Amino acid sequence: MMNQATNTQTLASVDPNAVENRYVVNANQGQTSLYVPSTTGSEAASWNMYRVENHPAESGSFSNSTYHHVQHSEPSSRTVQDGSNATSLATSSSLGAANTQPDYGGYTSYSNSAGTYSHGSAGYQGYYSGYQQQPNPSYSQPVGAYQNTGAPYQPISSFQNTGSYAGPTSYSSTYYNPGDYQTAGGYPSSSYTHQTTTWNGSNYANYTTQQYSNYTQDSSGAYAAGNAGANSLHYQQHYKQWADYYNQTEVSCAPGTENLSVVSTSTQLPQVSQVPGVSGGYPTSNSQAPTTFAPPWRPESSSSQTPLLQPGATVTGAYDSYRTHGAPSFQNQHPSPVQPHFVKPLESKSSYGNFQEQQKTACPQLPNLQYPVAQQAPQNYQPPTQTVQSLETQRVSKLQIQTNPRIASNLPLGLPKLDKEGPNNNAIAKPAYISVSLPKSSEKVLSNDAADTVLKAGVFPKSLKSYVQRALALCKDEKQSAACQEIMKEIITKATSDGTIHTRDWDAEPLFPIPNTDMTDKNNSQNPTPVSLFSKYKKSPTRRTKSRWEPLEEKSVDKLGSLNNYAAKYSSRVPLDEKDRKPIGASSEGKTDVMKKIRFPQMEQKSASKTIQRQAKRQRLADASAADNGDASSDSDKEQNLTAYYSGAIALANTPEERKRRENRSKRFEKVQGNRAESNHFKAKNAGTGNLYARRTTALVLSKSFEDGGNRAVEDIDWDALTVRGTCQEIEKRYLRLTSAPDPSTVRPEEVLEKALLMVQNSQKNYLYKCDQLKSIRQDLTVQRIRNHLTVKVYEAHARFALEVGDLPEYNQCQSQLKILYAEGIKGCHMEFAAYNLLCVIMHSNNNRDLLSSMSRLSAEAKKDQAVQHALAVRAAVTSGNYVLFFRLYKTAPNLNSCLMDLYVEKMRYKAVSCMSRSYRPQVPVSYIAQVLGFSNGVLTNEGSDEKESDGLEDCVDWLKAHGACLVVDSNGEMQLDAKVS
Amino acid sequence: MAYPSMGEAHRRITDYLNKFCDAVSYQDVASLAQLFSFSSNSPSLLSLADALNFFQDANRLIKQSDKFSQFGEILAPLFRSLQSYRLGNLVEAYHAFEKFANAFIQEFRNWESAWALEALYAIAYEIRVLAERADRELSSNGKSPEKLKGAGSFLMKVFGVLAGKGPKRVGALYVTCQLFKIYFKLGTVHLCRSVIRSIETARIFDFEEFPRRDKVTYMYYTGRLEVFNENFPAADHKLSYALTHCNPLREANIRMILKYLIPVKLSLGILPKTCLLEKYNLLEYNDVVKALKRGDLRLLRHALQEHEDQFLRSGVYLVLEKLELQVYQRLVKKIYFIQKQKDPSKAHQLKLEVIVKALKWLEMDMDLDEVECIMTILIYKNLVKGYFAHKSKVVVLSKQDPFPKLNGKPVNS
Repeated sequence: MMNQATNTQTLASVDPNAVENRYVVNANQGQTSLYVPSTTGSEAASWNMYRVENHPAESGSFSNSTYHHVQHSEPSSRTVQDGSNATSLATSSSLGAANTQPDYGGYTSYSNSAGTYSHGSAGYQGYYSGYQQQPNPSYSQPVGAYQNTGAPYQPISSFQNTGSYAGPTSYSSTYYNPGDYQTAGGYPSSSYTHQTTTWNGSNYANYTTQQYSNYTQDSSGAYAAGNAGANSLHYQQHYKQWADYYNQTEVSCAPGTENLSVVSTSTQLPQVSQVPGVSGGYPTSNSQAPTTFAPPWRPESSSSQTPLLQPGATVTGAYDSYRTHGAPSFQNQHPSPVQPHFVKPLESKSSYGNFQEQQKTACPQLPNLQYPVAQQAPQNYQPPTQTVQSLETQRVSKLQIQTNPRIASNLPLGLPKLDKEGPNNNAIAKPAYISVSLPKSSEKVLSNDAADTVLKAGVFPKSLKSYVQRALALCKDEKQSAACQEIMKEIITKATSDGTIHTRDWDAEPLFPIPNTDMTDKNNSQNPTPVSLFSKYKKSPTRRTKSRWEPLEEKSVDKLGSLNNYAAKYSSRVPLDEKDRKPIGASSEGKTDVMKKIRFPQMEQKSASKTIQRQAKRQRLADASAADNGDASSDSDKEQNLTAYYSGAIALANTPEERKRRENRSKRFEKVQGNRAESNHFKAKNAGTGNLYARRTTALVLSKSFEDGGNRAVEDIDWDALTVRGTCQEIEKRYLRLTSAPDPSTVRPEEVLEKALLMVQNSQKNYLYKCDQLKSIRQDLTVQRIRNHLTVKVYEAHARFALEVGDLPEYNQCQSQLKILYAEGIKGCHMEFAAYNLLCVIMHSNNNRDLLSSMSRLSAEAKKDQAVQHALAVRAAVTSGNYVLFFRLYKTAPNLNSCLMDLYVEKMRYKAVSCMSRSYRPQVPVSYIAQVLGFSNGVLTNEGSDEKESDGLEDCVDWLKAHGACLVVDSNGEMQLDAKVS
Repeated sequence: MAYPSMGEAHRRITDYLNKFCDAVSYQDVASLAQLFSFSSNSPSLLSLADALNFFQDANRLIKQSDKFSQFGEILAPLFRSLQSYRLGNLVEAYHAFEKFANAFIQEFRNWESAWALEALYAIAYEIRVLAERADRELSSNGKSPEKLKGAGSFLMKVFGVLAGKGPKRVGALYVTCQLFKIYFKLGTVHLCRSVIRSIETARIFDFEEFPRRDKVTYMYYTGRLEVFNENFPAADHKLSYALTHCNPLREANIRMILKYLIPVKLSLGILPKTCLLEKYNLLEYNDVVKALKRGDLRLLRHALQEHEDQFLRSGVYLVLEKLELQVYQRLVKKIYFIQKQKDPSKAHQLKLEVIVKALKWLEMDMDLDEVECIMTILIYKNLVKGYFAHKSKVVVLSKQDPFPKLNGKPVNS
């Protein structure tokens, strides 16, 4: 949140004048004026760009009003989805409503975010109908603009003209461009519908059916991103669409790609900010227009000025782009993204130089980011929602995790579009990329955005991205791309679970036989490689995203590393997704649980909204059967991604519900596996894609039905019928987190597991090995739903091992699982673990109520147990501060109680010495301290030979010195603790 | 059961509806509150419930006249709730009652003055009681009891309605107390914090302006919270407030307060009179007090063990356990006095062996090291003034006030 706030502020600092300047520069003012009414009404972010144009045309001041308006529309949609956003938006929206309505005049109906925008324009009505449902007011407005301006735009429509519009128009240019390139009427409408769909979610169907099935996928991905992120996602989608449009419609693919990339960069920055809050999401979505969006939102909350400033920045960016790049429109886009990012640095400076720099930075990033950006943006959005609830570190991880699935989905989206209209893109793309200096931009961005951007960027594994992009590039149509996305997701998740993501050479992956060795491991060589790739595949944007990401990734990795040990490992090339997941699972299970909880409601909402939307779409679309499928698939893909993510997070948890879900997930993936097998063939065979697609959709439907029914439906599933019976006879098996349905041939049956447990228990290897083995045993047990004495034994064994090495998180997992197992009446060392539990509460939670409740829960029988009695005695010693008793108990601890006490020893010693130093006069012999405080013979009881005694003494001296005690040697040569001085 | 005739049922229902409308229009809160209090099991309500069950189409009656139908949102679920309540289907009754309560709050919000507060109290109370009973029903059916939680969130809503400025704020404390009851019952005490904060940080409204009964209840619960936190001075203040302000005739309430106040006072070094314990039937503390007076460690431990379950449940176990140090202090003090009688000049030098012997006599088997540790802790916690000479194993007491009294201050920790 803080980041966002800062961003907004910085944005605010940008001078409105800059915007005006642009306008001045741009000859399009007249045109813009036409737009103004419509655009102002239309959206916040992307529209900000528009706004800029519009604003100048209308008046410098009104930009605020337009923003408000935009905001207003957005807020309404957002409010529906996100409560948190809603509040901030609501305020802004109210303002916007007042302002915008006048502007709209005839369009007033739009102004109602309610979703039903009755558009007077006949031609667009169909499209609008889609819009209307989903109240993206902003979009509707643009639509209106088109309708109204239809004529003016077309003249303007030439990209150059749009370029003249400046950055702001770049988005608008997309709108406009469609008109120009394609038939103005049909194209814009379709594009709008896409946009609307993205906004509304329900509109997706419309999208896909019309032309941009690819887009729809994107949008769906965005939706999947999360309720909170939904708005932002929509935006992103829109942006993507825009980008796509650019690419497709515009011959100057490069600019389009650049724009996209810019957008992505901007999105990244916003994302950073987003992480904290939903609002962040918006910016990301804006990325193309994202930045603009973000600003509008922020402005809403903070002030109207910020939006203006942003536009200004964008404008400047546009200028630069103009100069640097032939295509102004593209430039404009860049600036817009830049603005969010650069807003701080550049701020309101009207000086072109600054802007240019910004633009440059933005541009470089953009190319790389382009498609990836889109992916990232959705990812980012999801993270924000999650992050809000979870801790910061968790947020990061979560965000990243989410991003993975989405990335896959997003990439496909972008690719299909490219494929269709790819030929043009290739040629153009290269120049655009060249123009942009990727490294510079990335660096600048990093510096400007600080950690946030880095983190976001870090989410994506470079090589993996490139891999995905390649895969997508192969796809020739939407279906393929969708299927490809699915496959990619699975692969990635699998890889993550296997831990092979890091190790695997994605470049060399079989699925994508593309011979781009360059792609691998390149942080800096990005530019050349992307270009080459593009030339080959004509899908340069995707690759570039990779290259650009690389630098960002590194930084992010570093940050992550600080957060998580895992991150450090992965830092070199590790896919961000993996990083995120692992850290989460290992370090913060509790957190993940929280996350899950949070997510589930979101998921439900999403699914519900999706279904509704779909229905509406279908009704609308008479001939959209194919398109519908595409939409459905995309939606389902997104859902799957989310579910997969969830399941991944859940996988670590041990509760039965979680297990059920896990099973659920695994079931879902059964089909996926089949597809995966085919995935290799997939690229080569277009025909095969159809089948895959069909399968996918069914799988998706399945998963959807699960989710739609809510998690409640899970209980109704016949789990017995789905239970796996293992056939594997191998005793030793490494633990890999399941990302697909368990394969019976790799699951060990109970007898084998029993042997495996014995083997582990007798093994002389280190804890990591044992932990790994035990986890795999636990997994096999879970998968086969074995819950008996063996299960208890395994968990007990694991808990003990974990205690021995002080691995509390692992121990807690086992303990909570054991609690459930014991409650089911399965015999085990109940008392032993009751004692552990008690000790845990005593030692690690300073909560008297917890202690009381766990004490009162002990049965009379339990209190007679030696271990429990010991634990109770320890408790008494701790509460009374009786260190002598404590260390006596420490030495006589049964089972592994001493291991738990270990964790409290330091505290106790310190307390004891501070107590002694106050009570004793004049001196205390260190030998006595060493004896009383358990230095002399630590865990190994009663083996204190003379040697050990002296060792203990030395330890004690060291320890005392380390804690600032004052030691004196007395006349007898005995070391004394000078109590007075200490 | 004799069913009333159709006409009789009709009459009863319209009677009730009329009463409701009259109460609202005349702002007669007493009779309005009566109409809601299910748990009073008043005959008029019961007969109405019978009539409703007999005369199934009560909603038609509500819709018949404008006078009633304007409250249809409120009355329809209320009738349904009453029907289910009468039939013993408490879960259903709870659901309908919550709907009714929501509708009522909606209406209440529109009323400018706070005249209907009493009715709102009745609802807050009823919904809590109903939720508790519904939960009992649920858990006896093997389902997870969650209604009380639902009632909690509903009351939070009510609190939100009341907590603003204006005359309605007076009612906030009552709702808070109902919330406390729910949270303590659910064991989700941490949820109290937000409510407490909004009560205590509100400067616009003086705490003393709340009704007395609510103040007492509030102080009682917040005092209990302080006991959990082992913040004894604050707990003492709050519980004492509750004690001095509560109705002296309500012995059950006084006993509840004393149950927590006594341990708090004990840990502050203030002992109750035996007659107090007897009067309020708090004999479980008797031995504890005696042990403190005598310095009888054995007795204390025994008392703790005997009433362990009780103390654990009420949450004072840990508080009482900490009295051990005071018992040690008392013991040492006694030894000191005996020594003084024997040999005043050396009385301030307590040999560790003597203490060990005394503990042995109490059948407390502790060796030198352990007793030494206890003594250092006593000195550390300022229960004993002096120092410990390790070499000679002697506690050297200060010549001035070697055993400082707590005097209402908690033991240092």
